[in-house]
Amino acid sequence: MMEFLDQLWSFNLDRETVYGLFQQSLVFIIGMTAILASLGVILCASPIYSALYLIGNMVCLAMLFLLFNAEFLAVVQVVVYAGAVMILFLFIIALLGSKEEKRELSFQNFTALSFVGLLFGELLMSMMVGETKPVLGQVTPEVVQQVGSAKAIGIELFSNHIVPFELASLLLLVAAVGIISLAKFSYKPLRKRTRT
Amino acid sequence: MYSLSWLILLLPLTGFLSLSWFGKRFPKLLGGWFACAMVGGAFLVTLLMLAQLYSESPADRLNHVQTLYPWIVSEGFSLNLSILIDPLSVFMLLIVTGVGFLIHVYSIGYMHHDKEFNRFFAYMNLFIFAMSVLVLAADFFFLIVGWALVGLASYLLIGFWTEKKSAVLAARKAFVMNVIGDVGMLIAAFMIFEHFGSLNYVDVFKAAPTAFFPNDDSILLITFLLLVGAFAKSAQIPLHTWLPDAMEGPTPVSALIHAATMVTAGVYLVARCNALFTMAPFTMYLIASVGVITAIVAGSIGMVQYDIKRVIAYSTMSQIGFMFLAVGVGVYSVGMFHLMTHAFFKALLFLGAGSVIHGMADEQDIRKMGGLRYAMPITFITFLIASLALAGFPLTAGFFSKEEIVMNAYHGQYGNFVFWGLAVIAVGMTGFYTFRLFFYTFMGKSRTPEAKPHESPLVMTAPLMILAGLSLLGGFLGPWVHSFLSPVFGGAVPMHHDDAMLEIIAVAAAMGGIIAAVAIYMTGKDQLAFAKQMLAPIYEALYNKYYIDEIYDFLIVKPVKAIGKFMEERAEKLGIDFSVDEVGRQVREVSRGISIWQSGKVRIYALNMVAGMVTILLFVIFM
Amino acid sequence: MGSEFVLFISAAIFSIGSVGFVIRKNPLVMFMSVELMLNAVNFLLIGYSSFLNSLDGQIFALIIMTVAAAEVVVGLAIILTIFRTRHELDVDRINTLKG
Repeated sequence: MMEFLDQLWSFNLDRETVYGLFQQSLVFIIGMTAILASLGVILCASPIYSALYLIGNMVCLAMLFLLFNAEFLAVVQVVVYAGAVMILFLFIIALLGSKEEKRELSFQNFTALSFVGLLFGELLMSMMVGETKPVLGQVTPEVVQQVGSAKAIGIELFSNHIVPFELASLLLLVAAVGIISLAKFSYKPLRKRTRT
Repeated sequence: MYSLSWLILLLPLTGFLSLSWFGKRFPKLLGGWFACAMVGGAFLVTLLMLAQLYSESPADRLNHVQTLYPWIVSEGFSLNLSILIDPLSVFMLLIVTGVGFLIHVYSIGYMHHDKEFNRFFAYMNLFIFAMSVLVLAADFFFLIVGWALVGLASYLLIGFWTEKKSAVLAARKAFVMNVIGDVGMLIAAFMIFEHFGSLNYVDVFKAAPTAFFPNDDSILLITFLLLVGAFAKSAQIPLHTWLPDAMEGPTPVSALIHAATMVTAGVYLVARCNALFTMAPFTMYLIASVGVITAIVAGSIGMVQYDIKRVIAYSTMSQIGFMFLAVGVGVYSVGMFHLMTHAFFKALLFLGAGSVIHGMADEQDIRKMGGLRYAMPITFITFLIASLALAGFPLTAGFFSKEEIVMNAYHGQYGNFVFWGLAVIAVGMTGFYTFRLFFYTFMGKSRTPEAKPHESPLVMTAPLMILAGLSLLGGFLGPWVHSFLSPVFGGAVPMHHDDAMLEIIAVAAAMGGIIAAVAIYMTGKDQLAFAKQMLAPIYEALYNKYYIDEIYDFLIVKPVKAIGKFMEERAEKLGIDFSVDEVGRQVREVSRGISIWQSGKVRIYALNMVAGMVTILLFVIFM
Repeated sequence: MGSEFVLFISAAIFSIGSVGFVIRKNPLVMFMSVELMLNAVNFLLIGYSSFLNSLDGQIFALIIMTVAAAEVVVGLAIILTIFRTRHELDVDRINTLKG
């Protein structure tokens, strides 16, 4: 690898440009992989494969986070999503059994596809909508490099965004209480209701 | 000092509220004495006000308006929570709280056996409060409030024995009749506001003499509408039919409300608004005519009734007719004087009748009484005094006031010979029916030997004795009344007319009535049967009260019922019900159509969300 | 390869997620699709936080992750409850709310 880089330098390309090119091609490749993985999520008949593809998608996104100077979030993404949440998914799938699902192109699905296609087109078009004026902040990548991503986020989180942070903790508490009560409660099976 | 007058309102109100809230927890007698104490306190405060008025010169005694706070303040209209102290209101309050106090004391004995003793006293205190509001009001608004409140109290008290169907029906009748009057009052108040821009007595009465020409259309209308209220409250023809029925209530109620105070509110109203009525001489003639006609009609009906309370009720109507005659011919203070003496002797008559009913174990038919003079000596004597006063026997209270009325019916500002003649006939009738009642009840032999009449306890007879004293001596207060009230009526003291001829005829008429009663009812039954046979058609008409109830039934009740039935069958079922149902039906149909969208499928909801997002983004991009 | 590419990727993943939510019948997969959409938004936030030299986007993403975790936990518990009471997992047949 080192020889390859040395060769590139000999082509009069300075270090910055090469890093830029390398990063951009990485973003492109990983992004395409993420899209393909997400397609896999929705197209697989069996939920277990969907879950696996979703893990792949999340790992790809974690890598992309790394490339955009968000090391802390990348770690969180892997630990929380790919770790905890997806394990939970897999448990539930194991518990309920993964029944394969017939795929059909019904009228409803066709409508959905056309609407989402429209949505996608509009999202892309929104890129071309007039210039927005970006307000640049002070936290340049260099600053982040100096203090480290986790520390920078920590300072920001506990100084300027303490209220949302506390609210998030409250939300987690509520969720914990909620699922405990859901799990403890014993249910009688519903009789099949027939509507007239 | 005048600010203490709020106590006159507050004390009975306190009594009413505490008795109605905690009535069940009060020991029985304590509740009654508590109510008495409240009214007695109000009477003492009124005496204090009287003393205060006397400390000023007569001209300064007017228009002491006590404002508690401005209640409604807006552009062009303001209303203060205020009361008015002047000789007229204090004079009226003396009667209301004084006689009211005596009747409260009497009620403790009379209602002693009643289960809902405290409820009765709560209502009585409510009535005293309402009447004080009516009398003390400083503007037409609170006058109407008090006017309606006394109607309410009267309704509650007439129908006090709710298990008696006739009592409840009578209460309803009284209420409806009174509401007719209230509507008249209300429209009158609107018109007064339209013409004067204010409802205050002080403003209105000050502006009245210059605001109108005499007999202007609008002043005639205003006074006429006020009169509708006054006639309904005071049971004058043609709105009189509720008063005899109201006798279904407990007897102290009849004494307090339907003899001494509430029914005379109409006279008070005319006296209070004398500045308006003076501007409308035509209305004055109307008042005098209605008054004298009522005096005659009610007196003639009273001559043949057999229910002890109904006879007194008709006599009350008749006497109020005299009062209206007095104010109608322009001598307001004479009317107020008769109001006072009438309050004394009529309350006494009712209380005596109550004592009789009490002693006879709730018997009201005078044909079953008789010979009570031995069993009930105190009642007998006081009743005799009251009858003499009512009949106008010389030197009793009724003699002075009625004599002045009869004199003024001829000599007064609007008086004439016709009024005088009719008044004299009514005086004769008064003597006749009073002593007919008296002889039936107390003289002769008992017609129901099995009844064991007994004298009432002291708590009942003591008020009788006090009222008897007032009925005997109250007549000598006449000059005082006239001079005390004269500032309110423009400073005029009615002249004493020395016309021996008229006076002798009037006294002779009264004595003639008494003697006729003696002749027919004392000496034996034969004359009675003979007289009945001779005058059979008239007797029938009188006994059925000129069929006025039946005429009203035919003219008003039946058509209204027919219209109501028609409206129920046609308009309500086919019009209102149908349209309402149709609205509901259409809504149900439409929502059944819409409910397709509520499929219950999560995916379709999600699809709708996506569609929504697409639409919103469309706006974001292209707008 | 600047912000346009970030937008493209996130829009694509978001659209795919919404397609998945609408066409799949298995509630688990529908949940996964929701996760996809959330992740797409997260990515957009982080990418722009890098372009704009601000950490606010990252904070936002962190909060979103928290909410998503809570949501997944509760959602899965609900799915489990539904399964226990109805013994089936087809969302089209869970239409008690049909009007």
